[in-house]
Amino acid sequence: MNPSDLHHLAAAYSLDALDGDERRAFEAHYPSCEICSREVIEFRETAAVLANETALPPPVALKSAIMAEVAATRQLPPVLPDQVTTITGRRDRRREWSRTVVATAAAVVLAVVGTVAVIGLTAGLGGSGTDEVGDLLAAPDAAVASLEGEGGVLRVVWSPSRDQVAVVGDGVAGAGPGRTYALWFLGPDGAAPAGLFRPDSGGIVRTVLTVADADPDAWGVTIEPDGGSPQPTTEVLFSGPA
Amino acid sequence: MVEMNPLRRLRVVPERDQPSGETELLRAVGRGDEAAFGQFYDLTSARLHGIVLKVVRNPALAEEITQEVYLEIWRLAPRFDPSRGSATGWSSTIAHRRAVDRVRAEQARTDREERDRPGPSAPFDSVVEQVLDRIDRSAVGEALRSLSEQQRTAVTLAYYGGHTYRQVAALLDIPEGTAKTRIRDGLIKLRDQFGVAP
Repeated sequence: MNPSDLHHLAAAYSLDALDGDERRAFEAHYPSCEICSREVIEFRETAAVLANETALPPPVALKSAIMAEVAATRQLPPVLPDQVTTITGRRDRRREWSRTVVATAAAVVLAVVGTVAVIGLTAGLGGSGTDEVGDLLAAPDAAVASLEGEGGVLRVVWSPSRDQVAVVGDGVAGAGPGRTYALWFLGPDGAAPAGLFRPDSGGIVRTVLTVADADPDAWGVTIEPDGGSPQPTTEVLFSGPA
Repeated sequence: MVEMNPLRRLRVVPERDQPSGETELLRAVGRGDEAAFGQFYDLTSARLHGIVLKVVRNPALAEEITQEVYLEIWRLAPRFDPSRGSATGWSSTIAHRRAVDRVRAEQARTDREERDRPGPSAPFDSVVEQVLDRIDRSAVGEALRSLSEQQRTAVTLAYYGGHTYRQVAALLDIPEGTAKTRIRDGLIKLRDQFGVAP
């Protein structure tokens, strides 16, 4: 799509009337285009007036449910002046992914560390799914990766020969109603879905996923709507080299 | 003509001037202020729930999505930037987009499941009529009626119906470029009438 077409998409974009590809193309364009940026702001304000016209209070009980959830949910850090982001955090995410790719090259050197991590991991295991995870750890080619995030560390155990990957974590916050955590492979072609997982009520994750023909350079974790997404739609919460 | 329009008083952004306006509350929310979040909820929940319900139509689903919307508002509030629009516009965008994305995800799944089964497309007349009926007597209804019928239908189908401009084109049996233009021209006219300023 050439740039002159993009300039005419601000209205449709502001009404969420672009399909996925055009939305992404426009989001890549408009933050650096003065005219489009201004139009997006104006059209969004206009749309908000339209939203006012259909106002209808939600059931009263919803507020207490939301307040309870908010009390247990950490906010994202502010964006610093040298970072640019869109409302969806999409540009942030792209930056995250590319940083992960760069980190991967350095990570190959660290592969030996895996054995040590396995011992620590086995000692710390407990709760549901433990047997399966322990079984996977015993695979001769099992490799452990640490995925760092704001919320702590998740560990991923991956055995290519068994086509299985386990996600292990403690103290993991809930994904929210209608949402689930998603694990992603990251390779030269971008992100591919590895499977979905959820912490139990105690924040414990012991999930074994079956995967096929994976050859990841790195791992990433996002929160997605129930059922997962073909590509990440939210910010990367945890990531690390495979 | 625009200058004489009584709708000019419908300015959307001057809440900067209000001590407890949405934008100021949202900035407090961004600093982790849960009480401010409660107030922000009280001010905005009818609007956000209303537009979500309008798009998804199912009350239980609308409630669920509204809950997700507020959790997202809470998480993203530290990144809200008033120089890029009001809290009203920001939060409405989050709500509308989430509702639309959910409808499209469901639709994509249904399409996969029912690929071989021919089905009638949803009648769009009802969407348009329902909306116009509801807002018939309001100032915004007035503004909507000042659009050409073609612009009004296109904007209504896109925003309240949650359709892409390509879907709008298919529903109206017009070229995609025409649908895009009608949405744009209609929205420009509304913007000018509402006196929206960034």
